Order: sequence, then structure tokens, then C-alpha cells
Amino acid sequence: MIDILQVLVLGLALGGVYALMASGLTLIFGVMRIVNLAHPIMILTGAFVSYWLFTLYGIDPILSMPVAALVLFVIGLVLYKLVFAREAASAKYSEMTVLLTFALAMSFDGLLGALFSNTQRVTTPSYGTQAIFLGDLFIPTAQLYAGIASFVIIGGLMLFLRYTRFGYAIRATTQNRAAAQLMGVNVEFVSLVTFGIGLALAGAAGSLVSFIFSFFPAKHWEWIAILMSLVVLGGMGKLMGTIVAALLLSVIAAFVGTYAGSTWSTMTFFLALFVMLLVRPQGLFGDRIEEA
Amino acid sequence: MPELLEVSDVVAGYGRGPAILNGISLTVRPGQVQCIIGPNGAGKSTLMKAIAGLLPVRSGEIRFGGERIDGLRPDQILRKGICFVPQERALFPKMTVRENLRMGGYTLRDEALLERRTEAVLEQFPILRERAHQHAGTMSGGQQQMLAMARTLIVEPQIVMLDEPSLGLAPQIVQQMFEIMHMLRNRGMTILLVEQNAIAGLKHSDWGTVLDLGRTLFEGPAPEVLVDPRIQELYLGRSAAAAA
Ligand SMILES: Nc1ncnc2c1ncn2[C@@H]1O[C@H](COP(=O)(O)OP(=O)(O)OP(=O)(O)O)[C@@H](O)[C@H]1O
Ligand SMILES: [Mg+2]
Repeated sequence: MIDILQVLVLGLALGGVYALMASGLTLIFGVMRIVNLAHPIMILTGAFVSYWLFTLYGIDPILSMPVAALVLFVIGLVLYKLVFAREAASAKYSEMTVLLTFALAMSFDGLLGALFSNTQRVTTPSYGTQAIFLGDLFIPTAQLYAGIASFVIIGGLMLFLRYTRFGYAIRATTQNRAAAQLMGVNVEFVSLVTFGIGLALAGAAGSLVSFIFSFFPAKHWEWIAILMSLVVLGGMGKLMGTIVAALLLSVIAAFVGTYAGSTWSTMTFFLALFVMLLVRPQGLFGDRIEEA
Repeated sequence: MPELLEVSDVVAGYGRGPAILNGISLTVRPGQVQCIIGPNGAGKSTLMKAIAGLLPVRSGEIRFGGERIDGLRPDQILRKGICFVPQERALFPKMTVRENLRMGGYTLRDEALLERRTEAVLEQFPILRERAHQHAGTMSGGQQQMLAMARTLIVEPQIVMLDEPSLGLAPQIVQQMFEIMHMLRNRGMTILLVEQNAIAGLKHSDWGTVLDLGRTLFEGPAPEVLVDPRIQELYLGRSAAAAA
């Protein structure tokens, strides 16, 4: 019994981090129909920001989250202006953005590799090696903190989307871009800022990733498939769906990892994706396949 | 009467495609219901999209209250006071009725005013009040059209453009829809209406403008346009040709 609870809690904590990693991706897809293959490398960029702030100045990675988020927000604004804004009018927009984001992923991978080399790194705050015991429950502190931080950020994001004026604009643009324009939303501006917010979320996730996983620039290739599977399972661009998919799959993966071995645990994501595409291609929460 | 909206020699089309509007001109006078009719593909919806700023104007100009508005973005044109309810109704399917109404007031920066007007609309349309927390996408076609039209009350624009509001609605719902349209007009809004059903449209309008092939064919007071023999020719001639 305690084993099951243990695996469940760890699965949820990690699921929270995955949900945060995928939330920016799904937000960007929802508003702009951009499949951002560069999202995972942006997460790693955030991880490097926190890693260096910790290594050079001893700043706790959880405290440096806002810095990583801000750096990535600015990178997002610049990239959107330079790369995507001019493509918005193109008829082959969706196809173009896949190529562009792939090129971006390659470039940032190369850049980070050249700057920091592909050695394994991990940020090592004091709680990185500690654990909390709740009765018989054993929870590594780092994962617990990372999970809690993720849930706080996601909760904030959902409140922001639900209740603020800009949140209304983002949701409206996601659901019906032309209608949003007719209600007075400047959708190009919303796209720009949303791209920034999406990358800021990646940056924040990166800070957490930096102390729960060991990382190196090329690691982002592993994550692309996992994050994409979460976005597809969640119903393409549906934030709630993506979050539920992340939690669900993480918990399942944790059980699979515990009882069947860790090789199988990553497989969970792809297997779930495969089954979902066969059975319910619109995802858990999608109601129809939207044309891009 | 002074002109509220003036479209002069406008040429417009989609992307790099051919021109759909071929030098169209038309004026809209304040306080009227002006009905635009014409056969399928005449460019009625295209004209409305061009006025709303959803489609770039290639040449010619559009003036609103004397000021050029062609080249402005849709959100800027809405802020000037022109509200467009397209054929697809422009609702947000996964937002509740209440949220849709609030989205209608997106340009109002005064939260108290937005809340007051949202309440006033819900007061006026009990069906919407009843369904305030239902997702717009799950309502019937008539209710969706009612929501789309009621939503324009929140911004209180000077002109409301309605593209085929009766599309797909049962006859008694169509009647109700025309009543809402007159209510908007009685609130001081000028209505530009596109109707597939020319007779019903003209009967509920003050002025009629007939479009074909991206131009204004002729116009006049609605009762006169209604009995104009050229109308018969335009519609019957087409269907006779199609049947042949
Ligand atoms: N999105 C689009 N892209 C390309 N061409 C379009 C588009 N929408 C309309 N057209 C073309 O523009 C022409 C005029 O269409 P429009 O929708 O303005 O006609 P309409 O008068 O509103 O007709 P209806 O009574 O059928 O609604 C048609 O030939 C149509 O094929
Ligand atoms: Mg039309």
C-alpha cells in the first residue's frame, strides 16, 4: 500500500514538471498553430540560466526561475518578430513553422553545445540530495519542490487565462482567431506576447529540470517526442487536456517503471500516443480535428 | 442626409486571387436598415469583410464619418464603431454565453461598464440568462444567432453589419431575429444587412442595394427595389440559366 502511494506521489510530482514543460508548447500551438519543435531546447536554455546562476553566484534554482523565465520571454519576443511574424501571411504557414522551429532547435542545440559542451550537468542545491519522510512515505525533496513549484505556476497560468483581460484575448484567439479580431483583439500582438509567455514557461520549467535531471544540450531530442505526445493526447492546444495527460501518463509511467523496469517507463508515453491516435485521434479533450 | 459610411470604387479579393469586388461603391445613411441583396457569389460577404478590415482593399477607399478606414486592422475598425456579425456568427464555442458577451466588450476598458452592459443584455434576453453558463457551441442555431446579435449591444457601435443572420433558422426564429435587428436600430444603431432571402430582407429594411459581380447594380428605397423588374431578372434569369 505504501509502495503504491509512494509511486503515485512521485509520479504526480514529475507529472507536474512535465505539465509545465508542455504547457508553453500547447499554449503556442493553440494561439498560433505553431508546432514548436524548439520548445525542449528552450527548456534547456532555461536550465543553463539557472545552472550558471547557481554555479557562479550560488543562487537557488527555484529563486532564479523568474530570471530564466524573463530571459526566455525576451528570446521569445525576438524570435517571433524575426522568424514567425513575417510567415503569418503565408499560405503554407503551418508547414513553414515546422521547418523553422526544427531549424531553431538545431541552431540552439549547436550554440549551447559550442558554449557549454555536451557534458552532463546538474544543479546541486542542498535539497538536491535530501528526502522527506512522511510516515513511511519517502519523497526526494528536489522532486517534491519541483512538483509544487510547477503546480503553483500552472495554477497561476490558469487563473491568468480565466480572469484577466489578456487571458480572455488568448483564449478567444485560440478558439476562433477571426472572431477574436472582430471583438477588437489585436491577434498579432496576442501572438507575439503568447510566444513570449510560452517560452517563459519553458524557461521556468528549465530551472526545475536543472536540479531534478542531469542535462546536456542534445538532451532536448529525447523530450520532443514526450512533449509532443502530451500535446496530442491533450487535444492539440487544450491546456487542461495537456495537464491531465501529463499527470496521468507520468503516474502510469512511474508504476510501469517500478514494476516492469525503467526502459518501459518512457515507452508508456509513445504507447499511449499510439493507442490514442488509433482510438481517439482528437485526443482526450479534443472535440474535433481543427484544420490549421 | 449625411453619409455615415462611404465605400468608393473598392477593388478587393482573396490573397493573390482575382478581384471579387470590382470597383464597388455604396453609401450607408445613419439610422437606417440597409439591405444588400444579390445572387450567390455576388460579393456580399466579401464587401462586409473588406469594410471590417478582414480583407485588404486593393484600390478605392472606405470612409467612416469622413475618415479613411481602409487599411486599418479589424480591431481598430471595431473601435471606430463598426461591428461585424459574420455568417459564421463569430462565437467562441468553448466559452460560456456570459464569457462570449464579455468578449464582445473586449474594447471597453471600464470593468464596471462592461459588467453593467452584460447584465443589461442578460436582462433583455431571458433565454441567454437561462443559459449564461452554457458553452456557446452547445446552443441551437437560433440561440447562437441571438447571442451574436445581442453581443453587439455591449459595445454600442454606430454600425452593425449582419451577414445572412437568418441562415439555417426556422421561420418563426427568423421573425424573432428581425425583431432583434429592429431593436438594435431603435437603440440608434445603423444596420447593414445581407440577406439571401431578398423579399424578407427588403421588407424589413428602409433601403435596398443590389449587388452583382462585385459591383452595385442599382439601389433605392426598399419598397421600390422590392418591385423593381430588374430583381426578377437577376434572380429568375440566373435560375433559368442554371436550369437550362
Ligand atoms: N476565403 C475565400 N477565398 C477565396 N475566394 C473566396 C473566399 N470567400 C469567397 N470567395 C469567392 O468570392 C466570391 C464572392 O463570394 P462572397 O462570399 O462574397 O459571395 P456572397 O455574395 O456572400 O454569396 P452568398 O450569397 O453565397 O453568401 C465567390 O466567387 C467566392 O468563391
Ligand atoms: Mg455570403
